[in-house]
Amino acid sequence: MKNRLKILRAERDWSQQDLAERLEVSRQSVNAIETGKYDPSLPLAFRIADLFGLPIEAIFLKEG
Amino acid sequence: MAANPAQRRYVGRMIPISIAYVAAVMLASWIIPDDAAATPLTVAVALVPALATSGFIWAMARFVTELTDEYVRMLEIRKMLVATGLTLALASGWGILELFTDVPKVPLFFVFPVWCLGLAVGSLVNKLTIGDAGSCA
Repeated sequence: MKNRLKILRAERDWSQQDLAERLEVSRQSVNAIETGKYDPSLPLAFRIADLFGLPIEAIFLKEG
Repeated sequence: MAANPAQRRYVGRMIPISIAYVAAVMLASWIIPDDAAATPLTVAVALVPALATSGFIWAMARFVTELTDEYVRMLEIRKMLVATGLTLALASGWGILELFTDVPKVPLFFVFPVWCLGLAVGSLVNKLTIGDAGSCA
């Protein structure tokens, strides 16, 4: 699944580590989600959405 | 990757269990003579190290359930699945060989160590397919 995590993070000048600490996950997880290697669970997707103050569909995009 | 709390607790459990395992194996070797008959006493003494191996399995189960990072937990579960598949395949394959040929009998004791080696293969599979190996726990 594609996502806008890297852009949203860059807009706030956060490193992957900064985002990981805010989400209480590892930097490894943030990197895996950001690069599309791993799709987060719905609860984690909601935490990400809440953190950025956006709906989930504004962050995670359907392929194609 | 820095150790997370679940990893620290895992190591904290594995160290005393490992010490207990080594002590139990040494005790069993000292008390039970070679080729001893299976009496209630010898069986009871020989099963003490098995309690420790059950402790290893319990510590691994706790480790997985205590991991709060879902991605890291997925990596660990994948490692365990690879280890389990590999162990079942090897045990079944060798078992069939033992049924039909005169290959040496492999003691069941080796199932758990083979599974542990399978975790290393699981790490390699994770690294090759996802790019992250998972913890070394």
